[in-house]
Amino acid sequence: MKKTVLMTLLLLCAAATAYAERASAPIPLGIAVAQTSNVALFGQEQIIGAKLAENYFNKNGINGTPIRLVYQDTGGDEAGAINAFQNLISREKVVGIVGPTLSQQAFSADPIANRLKVPVLAPSNTAKGIPQIGEFIGRVSAPVAKVAPNALKQALKLNPKIRNVAVLYAQNDAYSTSETGTFQEAVKNHHLQMVTLQKFMTTDSDFTTQATAVLGANVDLVIVSGLAADGGNLVRQLRQLGYKGLIIGGNGFNTANVFPVCGKYCEGILVAQAYSPEADTPTNKAFVADYRAAYKKDPPQFSAQAFAAVQLFAEGLRRVEAVTRKKITQMELSIVRTELNKALRSGPFSTPLGEISLDKDGEINQKTFYVSRIKMDATGKNGSFVIVK
Amino acid sequence: MEEFLQNYGFLLVTLVQQSLLALSLYFPLTAGQLSLAAPGFYSLGGYIAAIMATADYFAPWRDALGWAIFPLEWLIAAIASALLAFLVGIPALRLRGIYLALATIAFVEILRVLCLNLDITGGAVGIFGIPQLFESRWGYIWTFGPLLAATLFFGYRLDRSRVGRAFKAIREDELAAGAMGIDATRYKVLAFVIGAVLAGIVGAMSAPFLNTWNARQGTFDASISYLAYVLIGGGRSLWGPVLGAVLLASLPELLRPLKDARLIINGVLLVIATVYLPQGIVGALHRLKQIALSRGAAARGGDGRHP
Amino acid sequence: MTGEREFPSRTIMDAVQLLQNLLNGISIGSVYAIFALGYTLVFSILGIINFAHGAVFTLGAYLTYSMSVGQFGISGLLAGLQIPYQFSFSLSLLLGAVLSGAAGVLVERLAFRPLRSRGADPLLALVSSLGVALVTVNVIQYLVGSENYSFPADVYGDLPPAFMFHFGGKMVVIRTVQVIIFSVSMLILALLGYLINFTRTGKALRAVAENAATASLLGINVDRFILYTFFLSGFLGGMAGSLVGTSFGIAGPYFGVAYGLKGLAVIVMGGLGSVPGAVVGGLVIGLAEAFVPADYSAYKDAVAFAFLFAVLLVRPQGLLGRAQIQKV
Repeated sequence: MKKTVLMTLLLLCAAATAYAERASAPIPLGIAVAQTSNVALFGQEQIIGAKLAENYFNKNGINGTPIRLVYQDTGGDEAGAINAFQNLISREKVVGIVGPTLSQQAFSADPIANRLKVPVLAPSNTAKGIPQIGEFIGRVSAPVAKVAPNALKQALKLNPKIRNVAVLYAQNDAYSTSETGTFQEAVKNHHLQMVTLQKFMTTDSDFTTQATAVLGANVDLVIVSGLAADGGNLVRQLRQLGYKGLIIGGNGFNTANVFPVCGKYCEGILVAQAYSPEADTPTNKAFVADYRAAYKKDPPQFSAQAFAAVQLFAEGLRRVEAVTRKKITQMELSIVRTELNKALRSGPFSTPLGEISLDKDGEINQKTFYVSRIKMDATGKNGSFVIVK
Repeated sequence: MEEFLQNYGFLLVTLVQQSLLALSLYFPLTAGQLSLAAPGFYSLGGYIAAIMATADYFAPWRDALGWAIFPLEWLIAAIASALLAFLVGIPALRLRGIYLALATIAFVEILRVLCLNLDITGGAVGIFGIPQLFESRWGYIWTFGPLLAATLFFGYRLDRSRVGRAFKAIREDELAAGAMGIDATRYKVLAFVIGAVLAGIVGAMSAPFLNTWNARQGTFDASISYLAYVLIGGGRSLWGPVLGAVLLASLPELLRPLKDARLIINGVLLVIATVYLPQGIVGALHRLKQIALSRGAAARGGDGRHP
Repeated sequence: MTGEREFPSRTIMDAVQLLQNLLNGISIGSVYAIFALGYTLVFSILGIINFAHGAVFTLGAYLTYSMSVGQFGISGLLAGLQIPYQFSFSLSLLLGAVLSGAAGVLVERLAFRPLRSRGADPLLALVSSLGVALVTVNVIQYLVGSENYSFPADVYGDLPPAFMFHFGGKMVVIRTVQVIIFSVSMLILALLGYLINFTRTGKALRAVAENAATASLLGINVDRFILYTFFLSGFLGGMAGSLVGTSFGIAGPYFGVAYGLKGLAVIVMGGLGSVPGAVVGGLVIGLAEAFVPADYSAYKDAVAFAFLFAVLLVRPQGLLGRAQIQKV
């Protein structure tokens, strides 16, 4: 009798675990971005984009089944990202993950998702080598190598007499060290002279040494790769000390959160963009309309990229159902994840970023890039990124 | 059970790991030395393990040894920590009290900045993708668990040994101990080295556990956490640091529903504990036990003066 | 005679570079000095390190900011009167500093007094003050969030944002706000020196620093003077925080806490019991950091701690402190 009870219990446990392994409805999709810490301001923009996508795609769902975004805060460091990924994969049993916010976090957390065979789409990792982390890792944020050089081209258009360039970057951040490599190469390719290379940390606030070194070197163009708080502060101190030339900011400057930091000194900073609110695709028109209705201004790049990431997952799920002729909720979770990963790489998607696709590595193919210039209003408090034609 | 381990396995292993780090601060304390240097050696051990596990130079070693490279990492981390501890300890341990604490803080900061800059440590970006020893995080209980048991056993034996008695004598009154012929400096350095070696081994075990290693592992904030574990748990017995670590390290998880307020509560607890529990929780329990015993003796008759 | 030289001579370049590094050193060092002034007061008089100083520093910056900018700030409430920002800033600075002083007193009550009355180890006071610092900073975070706040650009009125000096085609610059911070530190130093050496209050403080028990026997109300010390320390800390905030912006609630650690190196280097030592220590470390070559700029942070380690081994009483006789 005891043996039978034991066996039944064991079988029930086994059955329970097996049952738990199906994808549930609504279909959970993980969003692992920074909701706390100093990069939370990037994360906020990403969450807004993701939410708009959730609403948009749940109008029809995945042939009727809605998707559900599950949020886990990665914080600003690697350990937080790892924990968030672990929770989403094991506890929340998501079909895929959008995130993390920083490339620095991705190098730590993505290998874990890759080993557990869960597809990850990065909405904002631009450093070199991210998709190469594994076959389940992809991104919708174009790499620095594609985006950054456009800003330099635009700077030369504005001032063809540029000769001396100063390059500064945050050495404790993977994205910044990657981007500065691209910028330095672009400077060489345009036959310009890099007269000084200065390093700083994202945690610095006193940039006296770096700024005075730039001023002492008779520089026409300054290129800064860092995050919003440190980069903005550097620009402010540089301008206060009397620097009058052009400034190019990297992707870290691509957020409204740089405005309170440098105020009126933000004026004129060139920032390359992977996204323009004026791009003429149906999805973008709908996205921009929804965003304007809710927030009364144009959507920023980080929100558009997060939207695109969720879109690829949603449309990817639809493609999986079309190919396998089964409902997601009838399929085993591990199979859903693998099929979804394949679907992401199965051809173009029409997103707010334009028509994009992922190659077999998971790297994004995107054709159009832009450059914007920061324009501050008279009070120096509010500003916007104006696309330069 | 599976669910529970999946959700809380990481936390449980972390509690054991933090207990070990608290103990690494405890050993110098038994000889009366407040050293905040543990994070420095923890960081060193972790880097050694991370470099041996990922660098090309060590690839032939990895191929030849297979999983045995992990114990080798621990051994090398232990030796390196011991050497560095001797180097730093001998000059620094001439200082007393708060000045020693400051010297160890300085040591940790210098080490941190060095690690932030050298290429071999991955610079400021750190070392990623450290190969794992176990599939799940819970698996690491098989490295940290035995280490904790071994450390507690070692501490117990040390306490009862001649060396342990010398430590106690130095803690109580260094000058008197010197007058009785105990070479205070030698024993102080020994206590310091024991703590350093423990921290180094924990670091080497933690590198695969955490998957990623950078200079942020060895900071002043970490020193303060470990100090809090020992102070709040109790600095006079082996169980104090363990209790303190288990309580304080699980607090952020337990308080997770409170989200933003949890760091505030953490700080408040720190203040309350230092003000009202000078001997830590273990010490307070000990005192309660003594009070209970003496009340018991009084109740059984006798006024405490006559047996 | 009219032609300008294309490239300045090497000596001028080196001299200019040297001068710029010097100015940078003063710039960086005066921030450390102004932080350390309040910090060393408590260290000098009570022999304990008050880690909550960094939190009071941060609090002062937030208070000044919220009182001067924004709808409920002075500028906002009196918007109709067209008061120049400099006025509301100065007033807020003063009020912020006073409130920070009150915060300092609160810290003493909560974190230090209970331990002092028990004669507890100064290390416990250190941890306790750290707990208070954590609470303060996280309460600020809870209330206001971790965004960046910058003071308006015209906080110092019509002064130019930087002073520039020209030498043979090259330029040496220093930001005005750093000059202000330096001048204020010097002023505070002078005032504190006068207070401590030439007034009765100062004499009482020195007595308490020497030996609190004896001072109390001599009729000095030790508790009251300790209170004065913490108020003054908090006042100075809050003001320092506001000024540094105008220079670098307020980068979130933790921006002051980072100075707490380096501040240790500054006050120990300057010497226990020496207020001018704090300023000297700050300037020395600032100059050392400014002279670190660009390639090794990431080692800047290690400079202060290398100094600290060296000073502790060679001359624990610091540059200007009195030698401590080991009390048995």
